[in-house]
Amino acid sequence: MAMDRVLLVDDEVVFLEALAERLRIRGLEVVCTASGREALTAVEEQTFDAVVLDLSMPGLDGLETLRRLREMQPELQVMILSGRATVQTAVEATRLGATDIFEKPTDVETLVQRIRAARAARLAHEQEVAQEAIDEIMRTKGW
Amino acid sequence: MGDDPRRRSGREGIVYFGAVGAGLSHELSNVFNIINELAGLQQDIVAAAAQGGAAGLARVTDLAARIKAQVVRGEEINRSLHRLSHAVDEPDGSFDVGETLVLFGSLAARTARLAEVAFESRPPKTPMAHRGDPFALLLVLHACLRAAIAAAASERRIEVLAEEGPDGARVVVCSADPLTDLTSDAAIAEMLEFGCAALAVAPRLERAPGGGDLIVLNLGPESTEPRSSG
Repeated sequence: MAMDRVLLVDDEVVFLEALAERLRIRGLEVVCTASGREALTAVEEQTFDAVVLDLSMPGLDGLETLRRLREMQPELQVMILSGRATVQTAVEATRLGATDIFEKPTDVETLVQRIRAARAARLAHEQEVAQEAIDEIMRTKGW
Repeated sequence: MGDDPRRRSGREGIVYFGAVGAGLSHELSNVFNIINELAGLQQDIVAAAAQGGAAGLARVTDLAARIKAQVVRGEEINRSLHRLSHAVDEPDGSFDVGETLVLFGSLAARTARLAEVAFESRPPKTPMAHRGDPFALLLVLHACLRAAIAAAASERRIEVLAEEGPDGARVVVCSADPLTDLTSDAAIAEMLEFGCAALAVAPRLERAPGGGDLIVLNLGPESTEPRSSG
């Protein structure tokens, strides 16, 4: 069975590596990027069940990265993990489609649960899309 | 003393203090979050070892080193915060321009990193004493840095250095990209005006020999009398 696959995005590399190692210990496949731009490239080239995204980063900040990720893949499950999410940024992140907002330090078990739930949501969505395609074929071919 | 520009620069100083303080607080939070995550990882490794997993001694030793590195980083941030807090103590005392540049370098690092500019603060090799307000110098340098960041284009390199000039100590902010009018942003202009008044300096914009622009601050001979801003 394929592992849950998550992309971690944070410019604090030591934090990134420690969290990635903890998630790997719990059976997740983890890819790390240290900037919003690298995250966009990773999502363009690979498939992820979830993206865990910091807000305060050089260059593209978390909100702008979130907006572009959701433009690229509207169904992508993106979670915010930030040290200083204000009510305003949390509202904006939710409006842009973030599924969860976590404040650092967060409980790793809760994060893993939400990533697993994101995978289930992604698979359910793929199944739905496949079913619609089948239904369309059945309708148009008249079988 | 009723029109003393040092008194009128209070609001600008608080704005700067708040911005830098918030940035340092954010950096300290990052340190705590990293230590928290490393401690969690240590627990995971110890738990795995207790269940007969792979020997984790080397990994635990490595984690201890990573935690210590973060404690050193946190201590440096805290030291900068402490020095910033004490920079307001003596507005007319003698201070070392080089030490102020070192402090400014650590305070400005986060601002520069978030703006994606390469930033370096180069203090003089020997102490450079000046009489005046070190906090006002920090304020002026911050305004110059913000102006240089706003103008940063293809080169994105900014340096701050201090040297002995013909008229005494001078501090130079070097931008590898051309600088526009320093007064185009109202907040920067006000910060610059009040800081310069408290320091009794007039910033001069010059072309850099190798390209880009310089903001030159001639601190001049030691003085206790602030120049009027009006």
